[in-house]
Amino acid sequence: MANLRRFIIRRLITFIPTLIGVTFIVFIIAAVIPANPARVWAGGQKASPQVIKKLEEEYHLKGNLLERYYWLIYKLFTNQIVSPRTHHYVWEDLAYRFPVTLQLTIIAFIYILLLGIPLGIVAALKRDSWIDTTIRILALIGVSTPVFWLAYLLIFLFFTQLHWITLAGTPVPPYSITGVPLIDALLKLDFKTLGQILSRYSLPGFILGFMGIGVTARIVRNSFLDAMSADFVEYAKARGLKKLRIYRHVLRNALVPVVTVLGLMFGGLLGGAPITERIFGLPGIGNYMLQSIYQYDYLALTGAVFFIALIYLTANLVVDILYAFIDPRVRY
Amino acid sequence: MECQPIIEVKDLYVNFYTYAGIVKAIDGVSFKICRGETYCLVGETGCGKSVTARSLTRLVPPPGRIEKGVILYYPEPGGKPINIMELSEEELRKIRGSEISYVFQDPNTSLDPLYTIGYQIAETMHAHGTVASIKEGIRKAVHILKMVLMPDPETRVKNYPHELSGGMKQRAVIGTSLSNNPKLLIADEPTTALDATVQDQIMDLLRKLRRDRNLTILLITHNMGLVAEMCDRVAVMYAGRIVEEADVYELFNNPLHPYTKALLRAVPNPLKRVEKLESIPGTVPNLIYPPPGCRFHPRCPMVMEICREKRPPEINVKPGHRVACWLYAEKRGE
Ligand SMILES: Nc1ncnc2c1ncn2[C@@H]1O[C@H](COP(=O)(O)OP(=O)(O)OP(=O)(O)O)[C@@H](O)[C@H]1O
Ligand code: SF4
Ligand SMILES: [Mg+2]
Repeated sequence: MANLRRFIIRRLITFIPTLIGVTFIVFIIAAVIPANPARVWAGGQKASPQVIKKLEEEYHLKGNLLERYYWLIYKLFTNQIVSPRTHHYVWEDLAYRFPVTLQLTIIAFIYILLLGIPLGIVAALKRDSWIDTTIRILALIGVSTPVFWLAYLLIFLFFTQLHWITLAGTPVPPYSITGVPLIDALLKLDFKTLGQILSRYSLPGFILGFMGIGVTARIVRNSFLDAMSADFVEYAKARGLKKLRIYRHVLRNALVPVVTVLGLMFGGLLGGAPITERIFGLPGIGNYMLQSIYQYDYLALTGAVFFIALIYLTANLVVDILYAFIDPRVRY
Repeated sequence: MECQPIIEVKDLYVNFYTYAGIVKAIDGVSFKICRGETYCLVGETGCGKSVTARSLTRLVPPPGRIEKGVILYYPEPGGKPINIMELSEEELRKIRGSEISYVFQDPNTSLDPLYTIGYQIAETMHAHGTVASIKEGIRKAVHILKMVLMPDPETRVKNYPHELSGGMKQRAVIGTSLSNNPKLLIADEPTTALDATVQDQIMDLLRKLRRDRNLTILLITHNMGLVAEMCDRVAVMYAGRIVEEADVYELFNNPLHPYTKALLRAVPNPLKRVEKLESIPGTVPNLIYPPPGCRFHPRCPMVMEICREKRPPEINVKPGHRVACWLYAEKRGE
């Protein structure tokens, strides 16, 4: 355990350069754009010069880039940045939008687990059969289909034609336990809210998970084939183990690499899905970033990027810690 | 000494159905192993030693298939045999690991890296009802590790395979394979993956176990030194056939088949001093298109016309010494 703590502290320290790196890049790109954000924030062409000047001062829009970056990060850290677009503190904005992204991620992830893993196992068991080929082609389609195209196709089918889903609003129950409606509704066994959430999120979740399903199926297939052809499986047969037990050995070994990929995928999805959120009008992190970009709100954008990077790094860390629990060969 | 067979193979044929073609890996192999003896299979790589050994419990992996043959297993001395070829999967499973056990070449890959040594021994015993639960099995595993002379067995039983050295892993594998008191142990090059000193230790262990538990062993090896040390009788395989079989002294002192002679000249002979080692000219044949007649004929210095056309018969030159070569046939061309 002492090892684990040392490992976590060491890894947390490596977060710092990564976080500085990504936020600095985003900041520089935003700062060198030859437009005056203050004018946009103040209302465009008709903005009064005084207001523009005040905004420029308030948000440190002029001066040394390094100094401006330091100022922004310092203020973000102490939660003193108010988004010039939404007029809320950036962290509050993010905290408010995160449950939407989290729910979308959970639903997408359920599709990935429920479809990707079984498809991969079937493909491995029936390797080189037509089932395997079909799954391979599906995976390829999953990776190469443009998200928006698939999204509009399925909206046409399930919304316009079948009326199975809703496309407006974000269902929020009157109570709050964790702050995430999906989890709260589950905890309270509130099936009405749950139904609303599912009819709102299941299609975007599927769209978001679509690429992951194919990727996961492929990885599960390959790692299953590897595990099945391992020598220890042959020795397990030679020892006269029962079939079910042999499958257990195969399954556990096959899942070691899969857990890594799934963990990183989860971290990636949590970073928000601009296109999906935009198409379905879901006010998540991805959509927030898009709006910030449209309005030259690089302050909120940098905050969001910081937040996403932090989530991704944490997911990474959690995967590494999990790994050592699954695989005794891994030590910190 | 009279032979009480424990296993008897008659006319075994195994093919592998690969993309390149049908590999005729085992082509009419017959032999029997007597109770209490150590029987050796030797031959160059790819000659079919492992496939033969695996066939004994029908453990041939796809795309391989046993085409033909009878494999008789005698559970009791002088008792009625069981025809392995007629058993169901479940009946086979009950024999594997409890009556007939295997030790494979590479101990580094034989064990599941995600489970402890003790657990893997325990589940082997549990699979055959030797223990009532995995827990009890893990307790018993300590004794098993003691039996295979594992240092510090109380600790090792809780170790994962990667925490053990190669030699310790092979001890664990041998222990696992012996955990249900099998009657026949098939050791397929059990020391090839280990370094020389460890090889000796493992062989000492096998010798000790053989003595203490009256084990019958089928030993597969490349190492003629090991053959001389360990074996009672030896079968020499070439390209999917047994070309010569004799007891170990007879084989080293009076090899008859041209391939056996070449093989003994190609390795340091432990029973005779040989001045210079010679390699066997030519290459191992492709078993998709094996040479007709005698499969050794393209490399044989004594080749005759008939060798190219007809498969040589198996000739008993003496009791217990048989050879498949036209040189020893009385009526050639028959
Ligand atoms: N999985 C497989 N697919 C195709 N052919 C195979 C397979 N396994 C074995 N064979 C064929 O069977 C023949 C015998 O193989 P086997 O493994 O029994 O050789 P071996 O005598 O044990 O060799 P080695 O000393 O290298 O272990 C080989 O020539 C090989 O071509
Ligand atoms: S049968 Fe002919 S070719 Fe084969 S080993 Fe004997 S002499 Fe050589
Ligand atoms: Mg082999």
